[in-house]
Amino acid sequence: MDPLFLGAIVAVATILVLFSGVSVALGLLIVSGGFLVIFDGMRSLELMPEILFGKLDNFALLSIPMFIIMGASISSTRAGADLYEALERWLTRVPGGLVISNLGACALFAAMSGSSPATCAAIGKMGIPEMRKRGYPDGVAAGSIAAGGTLGILIPPSVTMIVYGIATETSIGRLFLAGVIPGLLLVGLFMAWSLYSTWKSGDTNLLSARSYTWKERFEVLPRVVPFLAIILGVLYAMYGGIATPSETAAVGALLCLLIAIVIYKLWHPRDLWVVLRDSTKESVMILFIIAAAGVFSYMLSSLYITQSIAEWIGTLDVNRWVLMGAVNVFLLIAGFFLPPVAVILMAAPILLPIIITAGFDPIWFAVILTINMEIGLISPPVGLNLYVISGIAPDIQLKTILLGSLPFVACMVVAIVLLCLFPGLATWLPDAVMGARQ
Amino acid sequence: MAGHSSAAVAHAGNNPFLRAVAAISTLAGWVSAAMIVTAVAITCQMIFIRFVLNGSTVWQTEAVIYLVISATLVGLPYVQRLRGHVNVDLIPLMLPKPARKALAILTLSASIVIVAIMLWYGYEYWHFAWARGWRSDTIWGVRLWIPYLALPFGFALFLLQLVADLVAVLLKIDQPFGLEDR
Amino acid sequence: TELRLSHQWSNKDIRHQVAQIVADEVAAADVDLDIKIFGSKSLFKPREQYKPLSRGQLDMTVLPLSYAGGQQPAYNLTLMPGLVKNHDHAARLSSSPFMEALEAKMADDDVMVLVHGYLAGGFAGKDKCITSPDDVKGLQTRAAGKSFEQMLAGAGASIASMASSEIYNAMQTGVLSAANTSSSSFVSYRIYEQVSCYTPAGDVALWFMYQPLLMNKSTFDGLTEAQQAAILAGAAKAEAFYLEEAKKQDAASVTAYEEAGVEIAEMTAEDFAAWRAIAQETSYKKFVEEVPDGQALLDLALAVE
Ligand code: NA
Ligand code: NA
Repeated sequence: MDPLFLGAIVAVATILVLFSGVSVALGLLIVSGGFLVIFDGMRSLELMPEILFGKLDNFALLSIPMFIIMGASISSTRAGADLYEALERWLTRVPGGLVISNLGACALFAAMSGSSPATCAAIGKMGIPEMRKRGYPDGVAAGSIAAGGTLGILIPPSVTMIVYGIATETSIGRLFLAGVIPGLLLVGLFMAWSLYSTWKSGDTNLLSARSYTWKERFEVLPRVVPFLAIILGVLYAMYGGIATPSETAAVGALLCLLIAIVIYKLWHPRDLWVVLRDSTKESVMILFIIAAAGVFSYMLSSLYITQSIAEWIGTLDVNRWVLMGAVNVFLLIAGFFLPPVAVILMAAPILLPIIITAGFDPIWFAVILTINMEIGLISPPVGLNLYVISGIAPDIQLKTILLGSLPFVACMVVAIVLLCLFPGLATWLPDAVMGARQ
Repeated sequence: MAGHSSAAVAHAGNNPFLRAVAAISTLAGWVSAAMIVTAVAITCQMIFIRFVLNGSTVWQTEAVIYLVISATLVGLPYVQRLRGHVNVDLIPLMLPKPARKALAILTLSASIVIVAIMLWYGYEYWHFAWARGWRSDTIWGVRLWIPYLALPFGFALFLLQLVADLVAVLLKIDQPFGLEDR
Repeated sequence: TELRLSHQWSNKDIRHQVAQIVADEVAAADVDLDIKIFGSKSLFKPREQYKPLSRGQLDMTVLPLSYAGGQQPAYNLTLMPGLVKNHDHAARLSSSPFMEALEAKMADDDVMVLVHGYLAGGFAGKDKCITSPDDVKGLQTRAAGKSFEQMLAGAGASIASMASSEIYNAMQTGVLSAANTSSSSFVSYRIYEQVSCYTPAGDVALWFMYQPLLMNKSTFDGLTEAQQAAILAGAAKAEAFYLEEAKKQDAASVTAYEEAGVEIAEMTAEDFAAWRAIAQETSYKKFVEEVPDGQALLDLALAVE
C-alpha cells in the first residue's frame, strides 16, 4: 500500500480511537499495536515493551518530574498569594492593578514550574477569589488566570520544551532561553489587554480601595526573595557550569521542597504526601504518554509513513509562509483536543524535516509550537487550564471562563504573528548567551 | 482531557475485590513516588560529587534513568485509580447514558487487551534478559533484569486496576468514564 | 523480499554509505531482494539495535559492536585502548583468528558479520592538550566506552558519563573539560567550537572502535543462493570502500579543527606506551576478570602483528 495513503488511514484511526474516550497513552498503544500486527506481522508486537522501555531510557526525561515537583511544592503553600500581593502593593495605582499583579505572579511562578496547570492552580487559588471580591467580572478574573497559567510551558523551565528537545535533538538549554522574551512579550500583551478592558469598563472601583505606604511595600519584599533566589540559582546552575539542564531540575526540586518545608512550614507528612502525590500523578501521566508516543512513532517509521510524508512535502512547491500557516492550523486543531506533550511527540518527527527544509529555525519553531499548545490549553472543546479553573472556582460557569479567555487567545495569535515578523524575538537571547549556531 | 480533573477518583464501594485492588494500586503509587524522590536525591549527590569534590560519577546517571522508568511503570495503576491518565471525553459526554456505558465497556476492554499484550511480551523480554545474563554496557554493568522487572510488574498491576475499573462499571459501583451525573 | 537495515547516522556519514553500497549492489543484482535503510535512529535507538537483530526482528544494522558489550562481554575487546595501532593493523585484525573467535560469539546470538570495519578517534581538551596520561589528572572527562572510562579513571581523571550529544553543552558550561570520542562525532557535534586543543588519531592512536555491518544469520540462511551471493558481493565492495574512507575521516576531522582555529596536538610513541601501561593495569585487567575466556581472546588480539 502507498505509505501516504496508509498514513491517512492511520490518522483517521488515531482520531477515532482517541475520541472514544480511552486514555491518550493507551489509545496510542492500541493504534500502534493494531497497525503493526496488520502490516508488520504478529512478531512486531514482541517489540512493543522493548521500544516503550527504550523511549523512557533517557536522562533528560528526569527533568520532567523534577520541574513538576518544583511547581507542586510551591503551589501547595501560600507562595502564590505572596507573589501577587507583593506585586499588587507596588502596582496599586494602576487601573486593573490586581489583574496585572496576578498576571505578573503567573509569569514569576511560571519561572519556577514546568507545567501550566500547576501555574494556574498556584496563582488562581488566592487570586481569583480576591479579584472577584474587588468587583472584577468573573470572566476577567478566571480568563486572566487561565491564560496567565499557560505561561508555565513558555517561560522556562518547561516540560514541553524538554519533550521537544528530546524529540528533535535540539539543545534544551537553548530552547529554555528562546522562551524567555516571547514569554515576557505575552505577559505584556495580556497586561495591555487587561488595562484596556478595565479602563474601558470605566469602573473606578477597580482601582485599589486603599493605597499602600512605602513601609508596607517594602515589608512584603522579603517574602518574594526566596523565589527570586530559586529562579536565579537554577539559572546559574544551568548556564554557569555546575550542571546540565536535566540535572539542574533536581536541584530546583530539592530547593523548592526545602523552601516549602522550612519557610511555609509544610512539614506534616500528609501535606508532603499531597505534593508528592500530585507530582507523581502528573509525571507518570506525561511520561507514559511519551513512552506510548514513542511506540506510535516507531510504528509510523516502520511503515515508512514518516519518511514518505517528509519526501512528499519536499516535492511540494508552496510558499514557505503558506506552509507555516498550514502547520499552525494543524497544531491549533491538534492542540484543541490533545495534551501538548502528545501533540509534540506525534507531530515533531513529521513536522521538523518540513520546517527545516523550508528554511525555518527549529528553536524558533519550538516557540511557535508552544504558543499554539498554550492556546489549546484554554480553548474549547477541551482545555486543561479551563478545568483547573473550574476546579478552583466551581461557581463560575465553564462558558464564562471560556469567554473570558478568548481575548487572551487573540493576544497569543498576535504574539505568533509578531514572532513570524521578528524571529529574533525567540532566537536572539539563546544566541547571545550560548553563542551563535552555524 | 476533561477526565483529568473533572472526574473523581475511582469508586470501590464495599466490594472486597475492588478495595483490595485499590489498596495495591495505592501502594504502587507510594513506591513510585519514593523512586522519584530517590532520583532527586541521587542527582543532587552526583552534582555534589562532581562539582564540589571533582570526583567520578559513573553509576548515578544510569541509576536515575532506571528509577524514573520504574517510577513511571509502577505508577501506572495508581494514576489509573486517580483517573490521572488524560483522555478526550468529548464524545462520551455527548452520549446518552446507555451508549456511554457501552462505550466505556468497549474502551476498557480494548485497554485491557493492549495492556495484557504489553504484560506478556514485557515478561518475555524480562525473562530473556534474565536468562541470558544481560548487563548494561557501562562500568556499573547493572544486571538488566532488575530494571526490566518494572515492565511485567507495572503492567500486571495496571492490568489489575483496569479489570477492577471494568468490574466497577459492570456492577454499577462506578460511573462510565468516571463521569458523574450533572 | 525486503530486508530492513537500521543505523544511527545521517545519510552523509561513511557508515550510511557502506550500507547504501550493499543495498545498491543487491538492487543491481536483480535477485528479488530489496534492502530498506532506516537511518538517523528512525527505527531503533543506537543501543537498542543489537537485541532485535539477534532475535530476528531486525535484519541488518551498522553499529559499534561494543554497544552490545552488556550482552556479550567479549565485545568490549572491540573498543579496548591501545589494542589497535592504525587502520592497516585494524584491517589485519578483522581477518585474524581473534575476529573468528568473536564471530563465533556472534553466531551464538544468531548474528553474522557482512562488512568489517574500524573507525578511529581522539581526545579534545577545553583548556589544554591531552596527549599523555598526566594531562587528564583531575579533569572532568567524558569517555566513549567502558574500557576507556576505566583507563582514564586509572590515569586520575574524573569520569562524567553522558551521551555524546550532551558533550557540546557540557563543554560550553564547563561541566566537562575533556572528551574522547570518534573523529566523526568530534566533527558532527561541532565540538571544535568549544575546545582549545584536539589530539586526533595519527600514526599511533589509542581509540579504535569496531563498527561492522551485521546481519541476522537465520534471515541470511533463509535467502536463496543468488540473494546470498549478491549480498556478499556488495559487502566485499563496501568493505574496501570502508577501509579507504576510514583513513580519510581522521584527516577530515583535523582539517575541520584547524579551520576552527583549534590547536592540533600529537600523541608520541612514548605517550602511547604510557597509556597502554595504564590500560593493562585497569581495563585489560578488568576485562580478563569479567570474561571467562577473556585472557585467551586478549592474547589472540595481541598476537596480530
Ligand atoms: Na515554566
Ligand atoms: Na483545547
